[in-house]
Order: sequence, then structure tokens, then C-alpha cells
Amino acid sequence: MEGTLLLAKAEVLRIRRNKRYLIFTVALPVMFYLIFASSGNSAYGVGFKAFYMVAMASFGAFSGAFNNNAIRISQERKDGWIRQLRLTSLPANAYVVAKIISSLAITVPSIVIVFLLGRFYGGVHLPIWEWIVLAVAIWFGTLIFAALAVAVGYRFDPDSVQPIAIVIYFFFSIFGGLWFPLSGGLRKFGEFTPTYQIVRISTDVIGHGSTSVGYVIGILVWFAIFLGLAVLAVRATAEAV
Amino acid sequence: MHQYGVARSDQSVTGYGNPTDYDSTTGYGTTHGYGATAGSGPVVSFENVSKYYGSLKAVDGLSLDLRPGETTALLGPNGAGKSTSLDMLLALRKPTSGKITMFGSDPYHAVKSGRVGAMLQSGGLMPEVTVRELVTLVTGLHPRPEPVETTLKRAGIAKFADQRVDKLSGGQTQRVRFALAICGKSELIVLDEPTAAMDVETRRLFWNSMKEEVAEGRTLLFATHYLEEADQAADRILVINRGRLLADGTPAEIKARAGAKRLSFRLDKVDEPFLLGLPGLVNLEVRNDVVQIQTSDSDATLYAVLDAGYRPTEIEVGSLGLEQAFIAITAEDDAANTGAANTGAHAGETI
Repeated sequence: MEGTLLLAKAEVLRIRRNKRYLIFTVALPVMFYLIFASSGNSAYGVGFKAFYMVAMASFGAFSGAFNNNAIRISQERKDGWIRQLRLTSLPANAYVVAKIISSLAITVPSIVIVFLLGRFYGGVHLPIWEWIVLAVAIWFGTLIFAALAVAVGYRFDPDSVQPIAIVIYFFFSIFGGLWFPLSGGLRKFGEFTPTYQIVRISTDVIGHGSTSVGYVIGILVWFAIFLGLAVLAVRATAEAV
Repeated sequence: MHQYGVARSDQSVTGYGNPTDYDSTTGYGTTHGYGATAGSGPVVSFENVSKYYGSLKAVDGLSLDLRPGETTALLGPNGAGKSTSLDMLLALRKPTSGKITMFGSDPYHAVKSGRVGAMLQSGGLMPEVTVRELVTLVTGLHPRPEPVETTLKRAGIAKFADQRVDKLSGGQTQRVRFALAICGKSELIVLDEPTAAMDVETRRLFWNSMKEEVAEGRTLLFATHYLEEADQAADRILVINRGRLLADGTPAEIKARAGAKRLSFRLDKVDEPFLLGLPGLVNLEVRNDVVQIQTSDSDATLYAVLDAGYRPTEIEVGSLGLEQAFIAITAEDDAANTGAANTGAHAGETI
């Protein structure tokens, strides 16, 4: 585990130097919040500024865990970095575990910054325990999308992974209601996405201090699905990386 | 058919530590670091190893031993099975059949215990970090690390240690890869075409630092396309083609096996059947009155010509390089294979 943490530390170091990370994971959510937080009155039974804070924190976590990783993993598999690591004493799963750990680490700043923005710019006042539940729910989202990134990054070559990642990115952002709240038929469909479920768990907690078991089961099921796909994708390349 | 296998009964490895320091259960030298000696059994052993990709035989019944402290070159044309063999040795691929042992255990455990340092052609580097950060990371993962500064110096990369990995030239990248192979106290070093993308000067520096590693008693196995390199750096050369071992011996032996002398002369009346029967003859080329012979024993061949009453003119005797020896060995193997396919199965091939 020591070696895996060392690798995760190096991953965090690189990501911090990456402009793409800063733009997608931190700058974009902050910018969107400043622009759109006042564009509505309420959503999902809570004030719009509170909703948009949750949505943007989830958006940052989603981009940080998914966008960053899917393309990198695919590229690093092609470049042979994963092969090189297999020649070290690291256990076979260390690369993937380090990616997930580093994703969890790099989404913390974006969640914290958006929460601070919500509290002091958007005037969102919540009891401490609710802040904590929100952070944990959104942070768990990081885990889901990091698993998805592993599945996609291992499955597709660098040439095809870019468009696929963009489609997935837009799909879960729009149909999860990360940019604008969903209603009507779109919501009936969007309800099934993990991004929507994470936002709703958070807004429910803000609105009435509890949430539907359905959403919690929902994100656990998504996590299981993406984790399963990731394991299959990694195993499929076990001989050829 | 020639038998190229060369038994090296005269094998002696000296100066690689003291046998009493060698712990045969762990395989680690206690004081001399790499202290393995000729008496302590092979470092690596392939027993009838085959690897198929679908119906393609990449490696076909390969058996060989690597002895402690020895520098071995793996030579073969593209697609001969060099990389696949090294991949299997490094536990990156599993043999379809046969068995590989390294330091008395399986390759996976040998790799994970840090006893092998390797540089792959296909091995990539982590981008966005500096050379020093990368070497520090991989050193930190090694069970028996060398000081980072030592590695940087030995690999000749200290000068650009603070440059970013993704901003390096091909030759520099290659040296960083090499650094990752030697950043720990590994007993076996495996290098797949280490000097590809290096210029002549860098290549010379590379082999100089490699010699330091070997002088410490490490066992070295490298695959290369540069025959000159194999000739200069290796104690032993393994020639493989079509996944099979064709020749195994010192560079001098390999040259001799392939008929490593070239004899040429002019002869007025050429009697080809007679020439083909000459002792030591490996290959014969006749163009008008010019006779060119490849022979394993140029003296015997020439005497036989003279004894038969011929008086050839413009006699020239020269040595063949390893390159010609290598080409001769693999070409003969290819010819034998093509012949077998044609007569055996009416494969309809045209030559």
C-alpha cells in the first residue's frame, strides 16, 4: 500500500500542474456559479443558489474524476507507462487504485471552493452536519466517476477515447441536471443518472434533512456497475498492456 | 544441417563475489550485493517455452539458461520472438506451455521482489513530472533502492534531471528508461534494444555505464539489432529466429559456426561439384571465373583446392563479421523452413 500511495502522490503532483484540471475541475464550476447562480428562484424544493452550489460541486467532482482520468489512462496504457509500472514491486492493481485515490484528493479543492462560494457569495446557510453529508455524497460521486474513467480508459484507444469521453461528459452533465435543473419528461429520464441522484440526495438533505432510499440505492448500483466494467476492462488487457 | 548449439564447458565466471556469501535460499548476496557465482545455478531458465498468439507461434520450444554474472545478447530479426521472450521473462505475458524459472522462483515473484531491473522498448514514462521526480518515484518503489543521485549520474541524466519527462529527446528518454532499470540493486538487468534512438556518442556512454553495472557482478540480458554491440559487449550470444534458438555461444564461436571466413579467388576452369565438396565449405558463389566461398576453416579449404592441382589466382582470405554470421545462420534456417513447407504440404508457395 505504501508504494501505491507514493504513486498516488505523484499523480496528484502531475494533476496540479495540468491546466486542463484547473479549468475543468475548479475554474469552470466557479465561473458557472458566478454567472448562473442567480438565474432562478428555486429547484427541487430548495433555493436556486443552494441547488446550483450542489450542482457545481458535483460537476467539478465529475469532471475531475472522469475527464482527467479517462483520456490519461488510455494514453498511458498506449505509451507503456502501465507496463513500466508492472516491472516494479507494485501490486498489479496499484495503478488503478492510485488513480482513484488521486481523484478523491484532487476533487476536494473544487468541492471546498464551490461550497465556500455558496456560503459567502450565494448566502447558503446550513447546519454543519448537512455540509458534511453533502460533501460525502458528492465525494462518493468522485469514486463512481473514477471507476467509469478506468472502464473507458482501459477499453478505448487514445484516438477514440476523446470523443467518447466528451459524449459521456455531456450526457451525464445535461441529463443529470448539473448545468440546469430538470423537469417534465427530461427529469423522468434523468432520474436514472448517478449525477442527478447525487444532486438530489444533496438538495433533499438541504430541503428536509432526509433523502429517498431510491437515490442512495441508485448511486450504489451505479458504482457497482462502473466498478464491474472497470474490472472487466482491466482484466481484458491484463496480457497486452 | 549444421548444429549450431555450442556447449560452453569451459565456462568460467570470475570476480563476481564470494560463493560463501551467497545465500541459496534467498539468492541475495549478503555482503557483495549481487554476489552470485557460476556454481550457484542459472539466474534464468527457460524450459521448452512456447507462446502462441492464436495460431501464430511467436516462441517455439525455447530452452536456455542464463548464468550469473554473464552478459548475454539476444539477437534475431524482427518478429523472431525476442520481445515476446523478454515479456514472458518479465511476467508481462504467460507462456502457452513450458516453464520459466528466475532465481529459483517464478518470474512474477522475482520481478516483485526487485531482483530484476528492466528497460522495455514499449515501456513508457509518466509525463508532466521532472526526470528527478520520476526516478525518485520508481526508486521509492524498489525494495532495495540505490541513491537517486547515483542513478542519475550512472545513467548520464543528471544534467537534465530537472527537465520535464515529456520534453526530452528520444535519446534522453531512452536514458531515463535505463535509469529506471538500474535504480535498485537488482541482480538481473534486462534491456530490450537499449540503444535504439541513441546517437553514436550516447551509445558509447551508455555501454560505458553498463559495464560498471556488470562489473558489480550483475547478470545482463539485452536484445539488440546492433550486431556490433553484441560483439563488443556480450560474453555470449543467443541467436533466435522463428521463436527457436539457433545458436548459442561466444561471439567468436557464433562467427565460426556460420562459416566465418571468406575465401575468394579466380579459377580458369571452375568445377562446381568439386568446389561443393571442399572441407569447411558453408556457402559457394561462382560468377564466371570468380569463386567466393564462405568457410568455417579457410586453411583446410584452400589446401584442398591446391592439393587437387588447381592454381587459383588473386587469393583473398577475410573474416566475416558477426553480421554476416548472423545473416548466414538465420538465412539457412529460413531456407530450411521454406523447403519443408514446399515439399511437405504442397503449400503452393512460390519462391
